[in-house]
Amino acid sequence: MVFAENLISNLFYGALLGSIYGVATMGLSLIFGVLRIVNVGHGAFIMIGAFTAFWMFTLYSLPPVAVIPIALVFGLAIGFIAFQAVIRRLVDAPELSTLLATFGIGIFIEELAKLVWGADYVGFSWDIGTLYLGPITVSYSKILAFFCSVLVAALLYLWFTKTKLGNAIRAVVQDREGAVVCGINVNRIFALSFSIGIGLTVLSGVLVTLFVPVGINVYMGGDYTLKAFVISVLGGLDSPWGAFIAGFLFGLFENGSYAILGLIPGVEPFALTRFVAFAFLLIILLVKPTGLLGGGE
Amino acid sequence: MALWGMQVAKKWINEKHGGIKVGDKIYKVEIKYYDDQSNKEVVKSLVEKLAVQDGVKFMLAPYSSGLTLAAAPIAEKYGVLMNSHGGASDYIFEQGYYYVVQTLSPASKYQTGFLEMIKNIDPNAKKVAMVYEDTEFSRSVFKAAREYAEKNGFEIVFDKTYPKGVQDLSPLLNELKASNPDIIIGGGHFADGQLLASQLAELKINVKAISILVAPALPKFYDALGTKAEGISAPAQWETGVSYSPDAAKKLGVDYFGPTQEEFLQMFKEVSKSDELPSYHAAEAAAAVLSYAYAIEKAKSIKPEDVREVMNNVEFMTFFGMWKIDPDTGKQIGHDMVIIQWQGGEKKIIWPPEAANSEPYYPIPTWEEKEQGKLAKP
Repeated sequence: MVFAENLISNLFYGALLGSIYGVATMGLSLIFGVLRIVNVGHGAFIMIGAFTAFWMFTLYSLPPVAVIPIALVFGLAIGFIAFQAVIRRLVDAPELSTLLATFGIGIFIEELAKLVWGADYVGFSWDIGTLYLGPITVSYSKILAFFCSVLVAALLYLWFTKTKLGNAIRAVVQDREGAVVCGINVNRIFALSFSIGIGLTVLSGVLVTLFVPVGINVYMGGDYTLKAFVISVLGGLDSPWGAFIAGFLFGLFENGSYAILGLIPGVEPFALTRFVAFAFLLIILLVKPTGLLGGGE
Repeated sequence: MALWGMQVAKKWINEKHGGIKVGDKIYKVEIKYYDDQSNKEVVKSLVEKLAVQDGVKFMLAPYSSGLTLAAAPIAEKYGVLMNSHGGASDYIFEQGYYYVVQTLSPASKYQTGFLEMIKNIDPNAKKVAMVYEDTEFSRSVFKAAREYAEKNGFEIVFDKTYPKGVQDLSPLLNELKASNPDIIIGGGHFADGQLLASQLAELKINVKAISILVAPALPKFYDALGTKAEGISAPAQWETGVSYSPDAAKKLGVDYFGPTQEEFLQMFKEVSKSDELPSYHAAEAAAAVLSYAYAIEKAKSIKPEDVREVMNNVEFMTFFGMWKIDPDTGKQIGHDMVIIQWQGGEKKIIWPPEAANSEPYYPIPTWEEKEQGKLAKP
């Protein structure tokens, strides 16, 4: 009985966490899909989003939910500037150059943030109550984070499938030369995709604070970068939806396996949950080497 | 911060104390320092340079356990005394070095004081839950806490770790909740300590007392958590407001050496040329310098081997607390950590009684009460 209760609540927590992982990875996948650039500085943009939420709350008492659109616009702007300044020179450049450049951008942003905001761990407290649902105790802000994540993913999906620009981006992902032949301005698509990718990532930083409003620090992005890589590989690298679904599954496995591992005497279940999540990745890749929703390259 | 502390100690010894008296000779303190860039290799070559080229005989270790561990074998090789003021790990002092001594409390003491306090104020609180970060520092802290708890009649009902960089502790805390503990001790460093407190609040896990490593000792903890931080405790090496004084030393029948706390705070302001309050990093560094001066005067010699020999037997108090080492290992055994608790938005010292400036608030308010605005103010 206790086991069942644990499993149910952990799967629930896992689903909530997974949705955040999902949105936090979509930007990475989008940028890779369109520009074939791996953004090693990914986590720094999540950090920017978290600090945006923190400052908006601290200075103007704006709840994180209201900061989501602000962060998106802010992220689009940062993405556009980064693209014009650096990334646009790197399309079709050797992989090492793009890795070094995005790594450099990440360090630049982190150090700049440290100069401005300091190295302290900050946080805020936005309480909107707690939900008690059988064995589950969870704050409403986490549930809100979940719904916002799903909404963001759904809106992005609609935009990609129903609008001309969205279709153009998908066309470039599928076949760059073909897209050029069809009259699509590929350079504009590159700029747009990179901006949207960064915008999404900064936005996901706000969702992260909705989920955990403490421990905000200029170096917090590193852990997310690592997980985002794993999740995007799992999802199929160039597919933002794959990333969202993979993030969701990753969260479920990470937290859900805790209840099962806890039954084994003498093990530290938390240390093993990551092992289980990575083993799961390995199995998926063995069965489907291109990831869950990846194209066959 | 640590350097300012050392400079305050130097200023006190040279100006107020009139230098270090060895027989009829008087020596002035001079501090020679280099930037180690927090790099182990740099530490090694600088320690060698200090020992060989600069002819330094009394060294202050670099900051952190890792760097102190790198410096120790070189000091040992050249027979130079090395005083650790920022390396807490017990491991450093289990390597058999003779010339390495410690001024701050070792990691193993970080949570035992809290258990001792609980035992004193509520002998019925027996069930302890331990939830901590899976890193070298926390593992050594909680290994000692476990041993102390078992020896003193506590029952450990939960003992689990979480990996570094964790984003969600819910599964772990869910399980902890079911174990129904009286007190929770846990934590590791900064981010996870905040996360732990925040998620204990979220899951409404109510206990009589909570002690978390590192994070609550910093003002940002209260800024981040607000009233949720009320009643949460943390161990600290030192805090402004501890009541170690010449009077306290007299009561214990030991010597008091160095500036009083007021003098230290005043001189710290002069040396640092800022209004920033000294953290415990400054205090422990100053205490390390003072311990050299005290031991040199006792030894009536400036030979490291004589001073080291004398250190085995000295016991005295500074504004930082007691100073006494274990003769075999050089590990600090005299200094007590203090325990702080957030009370009405202020960080108060609640343990040990001789250093406290407030009573422990026990049991702490429940999370529901804190939401209603209840503070842990006695």
